[in-house]
Amino acid sequence: MQRELRLDNVGRRHSLRGPWVLRGVDLAVAPGTLVRVEGANGTGKSTLLRLIAGIDAPTEGRVTGRPRTAYVPERFPSALPFTALAYLIRLGTVHGLSRRQAAGAAGQWLERLGAAGYARTPMARLSKGSSQKVAVAQALLGEPELLVLDEAWTGLDAGARAELERAVAERTAAGGAVVFVDHDPGRLAGAPDATYTVRDGTLHRRERPATAPAGPRVTVRVQGPPGGRLPADAHRIAALAEETAPGTHLLTVPASHSDVLLRTLLTARPPWHVVSVATEEPHGPEDRR
Amino acid sequence: MTALLRYQTALLLRSQRWVPPLVVYAAALAVGVQGGQPVLDSLGWAAAVLLPVAAWLVRICVTGEPPAARACVSAAGGPARAHLASVLVGLGAATALGGAATVVVTLISDPVSSGHGTRVPSLQAGGSGLLAVLVCALLGTAVGALTSWPVLRSPGRAVPALLLAALLALVATGSPAHAAVTALVTGSRSGTVPLPLLPLAAAVLVTAAVTAVTCALTARRSA
Repeated sequence: MQRELRLDNVGRRHSLRGPWVLRGVDLAVAPGTLVRVEGANGTGKSTLLRLIAGIDAPTEGRVTGRPRTAYVPERFPSALPFTALAYLIRLGTVHGLSRRQAAGAAGQWLERLGAAGYARTPMARLSKGSSQKVAVAQALLGEPELLVLDEAWTGLDAGARAELERAVAERTAAGGAVVFVDHDPGRLAGAPDATYTVRDGTLHRRERPATAPAGPRVTVRVQGPPGGRLPADAHRIAALAEETAPGTHLLTVPASHSDVLLRTLLTARPPWHVVSVATEEPHGPEDRR
Repeated sequence: MTALLRYQTALLLRSQRWVPPLVVYAAALAVGVQGGQPVLDSLGWAAAVLLPVAAWLVRICVTGEPPAARACVSAAGGPARAHLASVLVGLGAATALGGAATVVVTLISDPVSSGHGTRVPSLQAGGSGLLAVLVCALLGTAVGALTSWPVLRSPGRAVPALLLAALLALVATGSPAHAAVTALVTGSRSGTVPLPLLPLAAAVLVTAAVTAVTCALTARRSA
């Protein structure tokens, strides 16, 4: 994503004389950021996400800087006359991939989400959860610059939920922006760069609240080359970084981001040495599943 | 755009929702066209009944995708282009259908005028019929695009509107489809093959304008 997506004083109503669903929304989504949108049911979260994804145009105001975008709806219909793989290949080409690239990426994402066995199943015969996996795969296979997730975790099994969190971490680490809505307050806890609340028909930026659940974290102890400085990307991914001894750093990341952090450290030039990896259970009130 | 067109084409073909319009068109041809009739008359009929069938096909293409699936495609390809692709696939299907009908009708009809007095060259008659079919497919596309989502959203209003608009497009003086079909029928009486280029140009303009408006509307009105 070259530049940030900007919404300037954006408003939307669904029909000419209908009520305003949203008004006066200002939002900038910079490359590489993770944005969480919250709000009660029926406040216009989905409308906002559709505006961000470019599916709907604003009734007033402007949206500029549209990057390559992908969208995952909350419920994905399976009433499509394709097999899962055939649908993904077609959507991959719409996302700008060649047929071969699309076929490769589709197979890979179905496997990562635990749906490889359904590749040749007609969409009409997929369960709700499996067709939601197809919707997620559809959005991820094009490596979009902007990923918009409207309660995309709904209906996924535990494995696929965790995989989608890791995929989000990968997208942001690769410089893509991700905007998401989810009812689980522990979803990607500690990871969002910004949290917004939709209330009273407009968007409010929320300062990082002290009461937010921390979520499961991973601590990584790493050793760099003598006198080496922590790679900038690793610094960005880590929630906490402290130098415990000369050359030795203790990094804390949300569990969803541990793979991305390790990959960054191990592929740095020169590579860093991973001394230990440990999970850290969250303290305080929690509602993790 | 190619990927979107392929996706929409596959959606139409694999959904098999194209079967009813095809059957209706074939039935209408069977009723109105018999072997040995004057070629231009039969071609006029083939073109005229294609108009509502084209509108139906476009409606099928535009409304065939579940809203959530359309949202995914719109985010990836842009809502206006996604809608344009579905309209174009409907137009393509109608043109293919009309083209095939023209070939069959030209082959089985008598190359004569209505009074069986004058010979009408088959090849020219077929070319003229193709132009008329194209005019009716284009105008039917305009009718179909104008009477489905995003312009009219409830099927209860959209379907009667589609039928009424298709009828008007065929009988109203000044309509390119009316002009093209009338040219074939009067040409059959006099034994001259018409060249409906002016109606074709008008149909292209009307359909392009209508399609542009509906594409611009897609993102403004919600599903």
